[in-house]
Amino acid sequence: MKLSDVMSAMHMTIYAELPLLIFVGVFIGVALHLLQGPQHFEAMRSLPLDEKDSSEGRER
Amino acid sequence: MSTHTEKFNYDDATVRKFVFATAVWGVVATLVGLWLALMLVMPQLNFGLAQLSFGRLRPLHTNAAIFAFAGNAIFAAIYYSSQRLLKTRMFSDALSKFHFWGWQAIIVAAALTLPFGITQSKEYAELEWPIDLAIVVVWVAFAVNFFGAIAKRRERHIYVAIWFYVATIVTVAILHIFNNLALPVSLFKSYGIYAGVQDAFMQWWYGHNAVAFFLTTPFLGLMYYFLPKAANRPVYSYRLSILHFWSLVFIYIWAGPHHLHYTALPEWASTLGMLFSVMLWMPSWGGMINGLMTLRGAWHKVSEDPVLKFFVVGITFYGMATFEGPLLSIKSVNALSHYTDWTIAHVHSGALGWNGFMTFGMLYYLTPRIFQTKLWSKKLAEVHFWVGTIGILLYIVAIYAAGVTQGLMWRAFDSTGRLAYPDFIETVVRILPMYWVRVLGGTLFMSGMFMALFNIIMTWRGRPERYEESSDEAAPLGAYTGPVTELVLPKHSTISDTGHRVIYFMAAKWHRVWERQPLKFTVWVAVAVIVASLFEVVPTFLIRSNIPTIASVKPYTPLELIGRDIYVAEGCYNCHSQMIRPIRSETERYGEYSKPGEFVYDHPFQWGSRRIGPDLHRVGGKYPYLWHVRHMQDPRSTTPQSIMPAYTWLFKDDLDYASIQPRVDAMAMLGVPYGQAVLHGESMARAQAKQISAEIVAQGGPSQLEAKKIIALIAYLQRLGTDIKKLPASDPAAKSTADNRGPQTNILSNSAPDKSAAEAF
Repeated sequence: MKLSDVMSAMHMTIYAELPLLIFVGVFIGVALHLLQGPQHFEAMRSLPLDEKDSSEGRER
Repeated sequence: MSTHTEKFNYDDATVRKFVFATAVWGVVATLVGLWLALMLVMPQLNFGLAQLSFGRLRPLHTNAAIFAFAGNAIFAAIYYSSQRLLKTRMFSDALSKFHFWGWQAIIVAAALTLPFGITQSKEYAELEWPIDLAIVVVWVAFAVNFFGAIAKRRERHIYVAIWFYVATIVTVAILHIFNNLALPVSLFKSYGIYAGVQDAFMQWWYGHNAVAFFLTTPFLGLMYYFLPKAANRPVYSYRLSILHFWSLVFIYIWAGPHHLHYTALPEWASTLGMLFSVMLWMPSWGGMINGLMTLRGAWHKVSEDPVLKFFVVGITFYGMATFEGPLLSIKSVNALSHYTDWTIAHVHSGALGWNGFMTFGMLYYLTPRIFQTKLWSKKLAEVHFWVGTIGILLYIVAIYAAGVTQGLMWRAFDSTGRLAYPDFIETVVRILPMYWVRVLGGTLFMSGMFMALFNIIMTWRGRPERYEESSDEAAPLGAYTGPVTELVLPKHSTISDTGHRVIYFMAAKWHRVWERQPLKFTVWVAVAVIVASLFEVVPTFLIRSNIPTIASVKPYTPLELIGRDIYVAEGCYNCHSQMIRPIRSETERYGEYSKPGEFVYDHPFQWGSRRIGPDLHRVGGKYPYLWHVRHMQDPRSTTPQSIMPAYTWLFKDDLDYASIQPRVDAMAMLGVPYGQAVLHGESMARAQAKQISAEIVAQGGPSQLEAKKIIALIAYLQRLGTDIKKLPASDPAAKSTADNRGPQTNILSNSAPDKSAAEAF
């Protein structure tokens, strides 16, 4: 018996719905994380502007 | 955390090289694109040279635009921004050099092979197996360099731009490897391991995600770094950027099948692709809004700063293209748009508007900084902006009009229920004026590319005698000592275990932990991509009902097989599809719709994605041999207004009969049931060529063609789509159908032309 025999006999009618459920689960998880409020992310959003890179403002 | 700080330098030399490469390859990519656009209105512009024909050059244009222009741009962005966001130099200068020169060598190899017809024919994955292996080596070197830099970083939190880069590196590696699995026949020829429907599925899983993870995620990383820098404003919403990231990673990977609506792909896969494509609207527009809102309070700068101008228009095009993409994935819209120039307009609105303008914004931002002098001409950058914008608009408006015109003309019926435009050429001639407008738009965009290159060169000429090292200062990263929310489970209680786990999950501190732990983060990105892919791949490959077999479908004869390879090498798939959709206007025009079981021996599939010329899936037996001879020699002799180039070299180049046997053997190794034909491939091919050649002479055509490439190509074309017409010999209706197909019928059968070969087959 091959794997394709098993798969073909499984009549997987829900395989298209499963990924949607997985996506919704992860989406809820990420959304919950984001509900912590903006103050948790204040430092992170400014990271590109925090540099003390010496090349900044070195245009001559 | 350690309190003392360390001083360190950034490697800007590599960034400078990538910036130059971006501008140079950008000029090359647009120049080839413009030449192709001109050839669509003046087909004689290939000057009779095989290497300049549309079918061979089009992959060079797409590869140059994606992997040379956009590729070098994202590497410039990644090398510049990652070092600064991670507060460290790249992991290894030697790997940086290897990455740069290795990537340029790959591009040169592509430029040297594609015009010579060395191709796998899978769109955006045309390069043959030795170059594919080289890509793997260079990509691994890049990944080691990138993740090594993350490992030695001095900034604990990994900024969202880096996440997008991680997703790019991981996913592109997965896509490249699994789409390019092939069995080499020789140094320059291989057959992909997948066939037909499965090959099409894998190709568009790759093709769409090449757009997602090569042309979208790294450019979003670029946006999240360079836009706040240029505007001197923090990103509008970091929370939205997180949502943007995870939604894209989870959704994009599913969307590939929308490229195959109404084809022989199983319905469930097509629907899944459409569903996830429509869901992409959300995160894509979230990203666009986040980008544009970052300029809140800084809009006054846009009028004065060409960098911000390019970014604003680039992000706007991102919004437009990501609105249009889901729209095109809806089946009823796709039925009209697919195979038309509408898709080409969509692609160019994304590539020129989003990728191009984001790249130009970055180049003008970086140039004065990495060459440590003022930009040579801000005014020229402004002119570039306007010339480029007008160029894109002219281009896409004309091609949108061409696409919709084509789609409507193909499906139009007159009052008697017949096709209103039965001759395909009518639909070609109608859009030629729009092709001229495209040439104008392309010329303007290319002029802008030259301006950028010139401005960069002139700025470079004004560089200081010796570059100052770009340096920074930060504390080394010690062990994490901040707060950690741990999952504490009570003893002896399984029900409350679950409750505690839910509460822990709901607190969602885990995400903050991931953001500090790049290894875990990378693994989860890989898991997201792989799980999503497997959900589509496994059923496609393992459920038999997806591809019902057809008993009358047999492998190509050895001559047809090498003829098919010539079809692939000439890039015929760039203009002709081999997929008749079950739509009345298509079955009226081309014949019976294409069935999944008809492609089981097609390594690689040749469904195409565009119809500059008509579909060819049922062309077998439609015309006599002599028609094909005349048509290939001078397409305008059979179709006066044709824009197809003449393939005169196929009448001069000898057919390499000695290479037939290895090709048959390779196909047999891939599971194609050639049986005893593996012993007699060459003799069978010679016998069939002799018979076809005699038919051509009998029809009044030229002699001495049996040793030439053209004979194999005609053999292949005459076989196309004929297998399902073969009904049992006892059926009188079947005989009648076969007889109507003309004298070539016996050649098109899978019986070998001479007795001994036939027995061997």
